[in-house]
Amino acid sequence: MTRHHPEGTSLMEFSAGTLSDPHALCIRLHLEKCPLCCSRVDTLESLGAVMLEQQPLNELSEPAALIFDAILARIDSDTVLLEAPRRRQDLIKKLLGCDINDLPWKRQLGDVSMLDVTDRFPGQTERVVLQKLSSGGKAPAHTHRGTETTIVLQGAFSDQNGIFNQWDFAVLDESDNHRPVAVGHEDCITLSVLSAPLKLTGAFTRLLNPFMS
Amino acid sequence: MTTLEQKPVKSERRNDLWSNLLVKVGKNQDRQAYHQLFEHFGPQIKYYAMANGMANHAEELVQEVFVSIWRRSCLYDWRKAAASTWIFTIARNQRIDMLRKMKRISAEISVETEDLWQIPGDHENEPFTSLHRLMSERRVRESLSLLPEEQTTVIAKVYMESKSHQMVADELRIPLGTVKSRVRLALNKLKVILQDQNK
Repeated sequence: MTRHHPEGTSLMEFSAGTLSDPHALCIRLHLEKCPLCCSRVDTLESLGAVMLEQQPLNELSEPAALIFDAILARIDSDTVLLEAPRRRQDLIKKLLGCDINDLPWKRQLGDVSMLDVTDRFPGQTERVVLQKLSSGGKAPAHTHRGTETTIVLQGAFSDQNGIFNQWDFAVLDESDNHRPVAVGHEDCITLSVLSAPLKLTGAFTRLLNPFMS
Repeated sequence: MTTLEQKPVKSERRNDLWSNLLVKVGKNQDRQAYHQLFEHFGPQIKYYAMANGMANHAEELVQEVFVSIWRRSCLYDWRKAAASTWIFTIARNQRIDMLRKMKRISAEISVETEDLWQIPGDHENEPFTSLHRLMSERRVRESLSLLPEEQTTVIAKVYMESKSHQMVADELRIPLGTVKSRVRLALNKLKVILQDQNK
């Protein structure tokens, strides 16, 4: 069971459809495994519907009478009349085209490997990276300049905020100086969305940081 | 421009009417029921498009949403969401899709809008369905009337204008932290947070 959840404020932005695709993906992956946050999103979607019904409509909001005829004409010419239920699918696999363990990982510092997947999300400004911390491995200590939203896809890591298991959700910002350690027998793989580059703080500062170029 | 009288807040029974109509559309392709849904929700969706700065595409969005309602109506399950919630999620997704098409990036995106933002009941074997969903709308409607205006203003900008909390903060010239704390207070009142903590 997931123990670290997205904040209510983020779930609200998600339900209103204001989040970028990478952020929405992090939330969606979490929702797939978290009944608690699903029920929160249900409530928030109802909030959207109730907000909409309470707006002061006026004659400008009346669609032209012709619109309904145009809609009927479209559904009459529809070849696919009714939609079938959608299949659940592995979103990460769909995004990457393969299993996360088969990716062309690039070794970074020590126990950390990384893969930049920003190009899978055209038309947005955030950096999206997959990171892999070898089982038992330690990442260099670092802080974040902007905010980093992370979801655990496999394995688990721990830092000063606790243990983050698969599908747990973490948001880090400038105030967090953390040094994650992969716990358990599996490599820990995370998906992170970065609003700004991160900054190394420990002995590794000399090394070229892929985020700081 | 004359503003029509604000409609009274609908009761749950009244709301059931829309869900019943939607079920009729789904089961029997009932066009009269479909037209009643159009009369009620059409103006809301056009309003939504205009509030989102899509005035030039407002009627196009209304069309897309209603065509989608027709096609999906057979999947609608009143136990999973009230009609208005279900239609809101369709309007939200069609808006996102339309923006993607305008930016001409839809073809390059490997993850579709509806992989990320789902319509209640659209997926087979939906893992978590509960009475919670049915309670949601009535509870939200009741609680919303109790919120101070500064909170509903922020929420309206998020849902009607699709602004992030940061954008709302910039527009109202208040710190992001203030926006978030207003949202959190509202969510507490709406029991989005509190009720869950008691589980």
